[in-house]
Amino acid sequence: MESLKKDTRGQWIALSGLVLSLILIGLAALANQALIAGYHSSNAVLEFPKENIRELNSHTRDNAEILKSLSFEINNSTNNTVPVIFEQLFDNYSTQMETLYAAHGETVDISLVSINSNNGTYNNNSDIDVIFVNLTYNDGSTHYVSEPEVIRVTK
Amino acid sequence: MNDKAQLHTMEGLLAAILMTMTVLMITQSTAIVTPQNELAIDVQLEQIGSDTLKVIDIAPQTSIIRNNLTECVASWDTTTEASYPTNNLEILDNSISNLMPEILYNVNFAYTRNGNLTVKKVIIHGQPADNAVVVRHYVTLTNETVKTMGGGWNLADDEIKVVEVRMTTWKV
Repeated sequence: MESLKKDTRGQWIALSGLVLSLILIGLAALANQALIAGYHSSNAVLEFPKENIRELNSHTRDNAEILKSLSFEINNSTNNTVPVIFEQLFDNYSTQMETLYAAHGETVDISLVSINSNNGTYNNNSDIDVIFVNLTYNDGSTHYVSEPEVIRVTK
Repeated sequence: MNDKAQLHTMEGLLAAILMTMTVLMITQSTAIVTPQNELAIDVQLEQIGSDTLKVIDIAPQTSIIRNNLTECVASWDTTTEASYPTNNLEILDNSISNLMPEILYNVNFAYTRNGNLTVKKVIIHGQPADNAVVVRHYVTLTNETVKTMGGGWNLADDEIKVVEVRMTTWKV
């Protein structure tokens, strides 16, 4: 061993070994970081509550058709106008949806902004044409707002 | 005794250890991908369940699915809950099992009654596994739909009832 201490040859080889090992460590660290970053970004995409938001949107659209025909039916037996009945039914729908979403830790707000008729009257079943609705969804990490959501009521 | 190139030998040894450690580190770090794969399976299950409820909801009466989801829910007798192994909504159970073979599921209905949340069991196929996924679909009932289907919802003519069809799916 004593002779090794005095042997100063091969320093380039020793230095290149050190450089190579440092490069290897750097590459390994990079690969590790890339994997973690990939995991977090794909995890965020997978956990995004797209089905819940889509369901809120599509059900509100489908429901507008149901409420429209029900409003005209009720109008035949009460003195209230069609827009008033529609608004009451929509409020009822909104309250029920808020309770159902709250049951799994999500808050939603569905509020009717306006009811529009192309000819300005509400005399028959084809007169409500478009409604404007404000939709809000929040599950603590995702906040979705659609103000206004324009719903064409065709049926 | 030949004591030359001892430093080279040590260098080679250190390099071998370093490379082994690097390979180990990379191999262990790839283990983090595993939960991602599990999550992907969950998402797949969620997609299948969600699609199934949507397909049933829009199914025309002429198709193999005779009653759509709203009609199935409307026909439900609200006074009785399912208890394993007896289900109390066969028409919905048949439709779901046709569309989701080899996947187990339970179905509950959630709705509001006098402002309070009510959850009732409708279809039970067993105890959900650890990897179970819950999917939801909403339907709106009117008295007309309920009367047509002969259900027990007791709605007034000017009343609507939003029902959350809550399906828990899992694979064994």
